[in-house]
Amino acid sequence: MTAFVGRRLILLPVVAFGVTVLIFALLQFLSPDQRASLYVTDPRQFDRIDSIIRAHGLDKPVHIQYWNWLKELAHGNFGWSKTASMRVSEAIGAFFPNTLELTIYMFIPIILIGLWLGTKAAVHRDRFADHFSRFFAISLRGLPSFVWGLIVLMLFYGWLNWFPPGRLSLDADLYVRSDQFRTYTRLLTVDALLNGQVWIFLDALRHMAGPILTLVLVEMALLVRITRSSMLEVLRQDYVRTARAKGLAESVVIMKHARRNALIPVITLSSLLFVGLLGGVVLAETIFNYPGIGKWGAEAAVQLDVPAVTGFGMFIALVTVLGNLAADILYAAVDPRIRVQ
Amino acid sequence: MNFKRKLLALVALTMALSMVMLSGIASGQGAVKNQDTMVVQSFGGPGTLDPSFSYDTASSGAFLWTIYETLIFFSGSRTDLYVPMLATEVPSIANGGISRDGRTYTFKIRQGVKFHDGSPMTAADVKYSLMRFMLLDPPGGPAWILLSAVLGLDVETTRDDNDKLIPDIWDRTNRAIQVKGNNVVITLKDPFGPFLNIMATWSIVVSKRFVVANGGWDGAKATLAKYNGLPNEDQYTLFDKASGTGPFKLDSWDRKTNTVVLVRNDSYWRAPAKLRRVVLQTVEEFGPRRLALQNGDADYIAVDRADQLAVTGIPGVSLVDDLPILSTDAFFFQLALNAQGNRNIGSGRLDGNGIPPNFFSDIHVRRGFAHLFDRDRFVREALRGKGTVAHGPIPKGVLGYNPKGQWYELSRDKAIAEFREAWGGQVWERGFKFTLLYNAGNISRQTAAQMLKEAAESINPKFQIDVQGVPWATYLPQYRGRQLPLYVLGWIADFADPHNFAQPFLSSNGAFTGRQGYKNADADRLIEAAARETDPKKRAALYAQIEEIAFRDIPTLYTAHGVRLVVKRSWVRGWYHNPMFFVGFGYLYSQSKQ
Repeated sequence: MTAFVGRRLILLPVVAFGVTVLIFALLQFLSPDQRASLYVTDPRQFDRIDSIIRAHGLDKPVHIQYWNWLKELAHGNFGWSKTASMRVSEAIGAFFPNTLELTIYMFIPIILIGLWLGTKAAVHRDRFADHFSRFFAISLRGLPSFVWGLIVLMLFYGWLNWFPPGRLSLDADLYVRSDQFRTYTRLLTVDALLNGQVWIFLDALRHMAGPILTLVLVEMALLVRITRSSMLEVLRQDYVRTARAKGLAESVVIMKHARRNALIPVITLSSLLFVGLLGGVVLAETIFNYPGIGKWGAEAAVQLDVPAVTGFGMFIALVTVLGNLAADILYAAVDPRIRVQ
Repeated sequence: MNFKRKLLALVALTMALSMVMLSGIASGQGAVKNQDTMVVQSFGGPGTLDPSFSYDTASSGAFLWTIYETLIFFSGSRTDLYVPMLATEVPSIANGGISRDGRTYTFKIRQGVKFHDGSPMTAADVKYSLMRFMLLDPPGGPAWILLSAVLGLDVETTRDDNDKLIPDIWDRTNRAIQVKGNNVVITLKDPFGPFLNIMATWSIVVSKRFVVANGGWDGAKATLAKYNGLPNEDQYTLFDKASGTGPFKLDSWDRKTNTVVLVRNDSYWRAPAKLRRVVLQTVEEFGPRRLALQNGDADYIAVDRADQLAVTGIPGVSLVDDLPILSTDAFFFQLALNAQGNRNIGSGRLDGNGIPPNFFSDIHVRRGFAHLFDRDRFVREALRGKGTVAHGPIPKGVLGYNPKGQWYELSRDKAIAEFREAWGGQVWERGFKFTLLYNAGNISRQTAAQMLKEAAESINPKFQIDVQGVPWATYLPQYRGRQLPLYVLGWIADFADPHNFAQPFLSSNGAFTGRQGYKNADADRLIEAAARETDPKKRAALYAQIEEIAFRDIPTLYTAHGVRLVVKRSWVRGWYHNPMFFVGFGYLYSQSKQ
């Protein structure tokens, strides 16, 4: 296992390098003029486009641009993101913890409710629980997340004023910016508790509730479906019949014998889902004005913010590799038959 | 517990959790929220807080007249009348502040004004601030505005064609701006009519001591090269820090959420502002902005014209409309197209499947289109009546604007007659085909393009215009490569003077005309003469002649001058509009909440 993890970790820089080469190569399909559009936003700058292109080195050959970028990278400088108005490394450090926090909070209900509903549906096949969960899953997935986002926003902010968008309300935001608040983990809810400020914890939670609710509604449905079908498959296996024949309690059969074996596809889906959410939940972050990494990455891509896109791509590649590694390790933990080679 | 009970329990738990988080339920109406804090929500937040780098409305709007102040300021809603600010009087010939030859301006610097860091503002700070603005000169930045005003119209940059610092640029600037006692004396290379107007917006005073203490340029010639022309915002000292003289101090700029917080400057040289705090938030999506306004969480929000209905009728919200802003939108004819690899001109010949590169050089073609475009309908329907029909480049509210200026009558017959004359009759017989591009997302420009297409295609089935919305990154290279036959763009004033419109729209080296391939020696001569003239009456007469050329030569088909819509909570007090305010929330010093 250790060797396996080590090998995968050694691969990380290779993957990161490959991603940057790929992104740089793709960006070369854009002319210097196109890439300069990030900096030229007004007709008043039309006369000065040449000097903008030269100042940013956009007219240099691709290998020179890449080499310059690598040199900067060696000093820990990923470049300047115009969309974020900060260095790319700073931007990742600023936005990723927000998305990570959001992901953790939404992932817990997705997993818990998804597993519970999926299992119930399979165990009570063709009965109310099954019909309900299937109807639930289909209807939730039936609408795209931005529609759910708008509905949640309208209902829970516009009408009820429960879950405002953004990161914090004005008072909490001013408090967090003040010297009285110390940052420990960059996860706002955790830092709020470590500072003993429960009201900030609740305020941060209120602001995350909208995107969490939206994404739980949409993403949970898939997990319900996968859990259900996986459980149905397992429940037909001989060893389940044997367990029942042995006179084991139904709850033991379901929870210990069936569900554990049904978890493999669920883990695969969950790891993909988790990594996907970490990569940024663009629509939810945008609709709820949540300063996450996905919103920044999407804005950077739209505006052709080359350093930001490259840094973002590299970072997400690393997250993906690590996410998959975690899934591989989980497989072995859940199913002893699987031995990581 | 059976499934139904568990389900009910889950729903109940969710509701209970929701209720726990209800701590901040607000009524949204009635009581003023955040009594002494003004909250502004807009899209596209600031990219820098450094006045020498900032050349966008969101950035300038965050610091101008809040953190930093200018030597003189606009009087109320006027753009041609000034009041003293950091100078004690507005220079004029009568008070000796302007020399008889119109080249020398003396600004008496107000004493007793302190920067936010506690240091006193001096004439040396003013000189330093002007030189810093002119000489740091970031690529594509605003330095040209003062450079051309002070050092001559031909000086728009501090660098040569090889991007090297011009050796004597510091000396020329240093000679032009002199400190004499408590006065700053600026000697222009040539008389320049718009100078005071420029100073009302761009004479932003920063603290030299603060800049130098934070590692910035010390004002010396020897160190200028190190600070000149740097490409990125954060390479400029005042990017995220500030020490101005204004009624508000910079508290923080959280770039993660792009929120700027300003706090009241209690040591302000006038009475302190009524507001204790200003919060400028960036919220890109309209939906959350609209709901924040409705709930009273925002006092001002930015609203596109297309979203006006969505904010109409909200209790406690007021809309102030038809506020003039100094902008001009137009169709631009490309008189000398680049045919190489150009997919916008079809076959590249006048054979009914394309146009030749010089298609629009025939004035009959341009006039034909001018007779076809229904500007009144465009303003009425596309802009919902919110705009002014343009008769030329100079917008309403600026010297030289002529509401009854000449323009081409809307007439199918006259358009047909012009097209029949164009290219010896070949245009009418064979027809044409080209692509008209606009930057995607701009609904009014899309509508204008569509209207022109429909009008042209309705008079001759052989006329074909393909209207396409493209991203800015696609638009810009084609514009620069002179590959756009006909395109829609707009211009917003840098300063409230007709020169800022005549020059880009009609001078042979203007921002637009330089690309269009339009040249008219008379226009160039008149533009230069009008810029150097200081007598408003004589200037108005010169601009009337310039507008006459704009009509006669029609290199550009003017559509409309814009107006602004301001959407705010009704509890905001003390707001007023000036066309030169970059942002709708206006001058915050005078504002409060009920």
